[in-house]
Amino acid sequence: MSVLTKLQNIDRRILYLLIAVVIAVPLLRRPSKHPSVVFLEVKNAYNTLDRIPKNKVVILSTVWGPGTRAENESQTEAIMRHLFRNRTKFVVLSWDQLGSQLTYDGGTAIAKKMGRRYGADWVHLGYNPGPMYAIIRGLGKNFPGVFKVDRFGKKLKDIPLTAKVRDHRDIGAVVEITPSGTVAYWIAYFNQPYQVPLVFCPTAVMSAEAYPYLDSGQLNGMLNGVIGAAQYETLIGMGKERTYAAAASWALSSAHIFILVLIVLGNLGYALSRRSTRARGGSKIG
Amino acid sequence: MGAVWEWLAAPREGWLLAGFIVAALVIGGLTLAMLCSTPPRYRKPIVMVVTFVAGLYYSLEFLLPPEAWGLKPPRNPLTDAQPTVAALAQIVSSFALLLGVWNLFLIHGRAVGKRTKGWYNSAAFFVAFFGIMLAGFLKDTLAGKGAQVSESMYVILFNGFLTSLDSTMFSLIAFYIVSAAYRAFRIKSLEAALMMAAAAIIMLALVPIGATITNWLPETGIISAFRVERIGYWLLTGPNMAAQRAIAFGIAVGGLAMGLRIWLSLERGSFFDRQL
Repeated sequence: MSVLTKLQNIDRRILYLLIAVVIAVPLLRRPSKHPSVVFLEVKNAYNTLDRIPKNKVVILSTVWGPGTRAENESQTEAIMRHLFRNRTKFVVLSWDQLGSQLTYDGGTAIAKKMGRRYGADWVHLGYNPGPMYAIIRGLGKNFPGVFKVDRFGKKLKDIPLTAKVRDHRDIGAVVEITPSGTVAYWIAYFNQPYQVPLVFCPTAVMSAEAYPYLDSGQLNGMLNGVIGAAQYETLIGMGKERTYAAAASWALSSAHIFILVLIVLGNLGYALSRRSTRARGGSKIG
Repeated sequence: MGAVWEWLAAPREGWLLAGFIVAALVIGGLTLAMLCSTPPRYRKPIVMVVTFVAGLYYSLEFLLPPEAWGLKPPRNPLTDAQPTVAALAQIVSSFALLLGVWNLFLIHGRAVGKRTKGWYNSAAFFVAFFGIMLAGFLKDTLAGKGAQVSESMYVILFNGFLTSLDSTMFSLIAFYIVSAAYRAFRIKSLEAALMMAAAAIIMLALVPIGATITNWLPETGIISAFRVERIGYWLLTGPNMAAQRAIAFGIAVGGLAMGLRIWLSLERGSFFDRQL
């Protein structure tokens, strides 16, 4: 077998092993270096949440579960830290059964570290099966009519943070953290009708779809994937800490470079073997 | 009517909550059984009317102008029913969860009962289902050492097994992407070359290494436009945005047509009198 053919036919088990190593090394080393560039949409997201009036509550709508934890958890935690730091009150909605537990655990750990209290600084409303459009439309008109208890079954009217939330007038912003296209529900049924700011935190693969909404002003900012989370950490002053988001951004860097090298290698082999076949007077490959 | 609904929807705890859940299940089950036993020629109009009324509520509530009714704050008369309708929609969605569990029990129960090939995988489903359910219930109900043991068991099952398995399933995509990109991405035409170039720029622009590669270029001026992150941003906010907007318009028009077909019960298979 010639080198050209070999270049096009590297055993897939070798590829799997290499990609595992390429991703694992930065994650295990945990470099503290955060991305030097901060995207405009990430800065806008930061500015939006930084200016929330103190008498208003932010809704963190989390649609993610363990499948996209690697991207969405960092986004959720970076935003929670920012809101806790500013003493901006927030409620967490979860549209995923497993994600409900993960967001509660994450929020509890950060609150403990930052000295914030459940019920006074944040509340978790537990898992909600949806449908999203009905809940979102309803909460804008009558929040206590739609949500009556928190994740522990405690009445919201007995919790200091939620007792005063009536409707959209008490909500300062919504942050939609999701691996799917659910942001359109918020735009159509809540943020556009009531002119409430909306920050979008999708997985990187979903972020390309959001640019028309950013351009139209229907989205106030975006954290695109775990890179967006790492950039957000830089903005909230965690730029020198060894965080998962920073490590993941370098793991993704090396993975992207590795994939590009493989594509070039595959195409190099393809182009050279096609040329040699033509030179021998044979038929075209592919 | 409002008072009755308020009483029904008020939060409850303990045995009263359990009683309400059982009553709701019985009423829901009876309603479903009645619907299933209704002859098809009557069933179809029932489903049509329910679907139409449900859709009509949202259409009118969304479209009726809030200022025309003299209510304060401005709203149309249907708006006050929003929480009730939202709660009803939530209840219907919850029944869908129950149907999912029921379906799993039927399929895996049959596999275990008949000892079909790979039946032990179905048995593993039951062990996992009842194991994590039991751990969850016990950690909330037991006290003292029992609570500690069940809490530890729950953490092991939830964090150790469930979330890890879920994450693992998703992370396999990385391996497939690498293999597919290497094997399938062959530049055979000008279009493929353009796509490859755009993909490479976006892949580099979205990660920190991209900015590092062209860090030597100035941050301002005409030449700064050649920094990878700038080219990537232009691709995302220019050609990509135009394409995404076109796709969004197409989806919106298609969604409207689809929504109308479902609302007016014109869609094939809207009724459970025939298979799709």
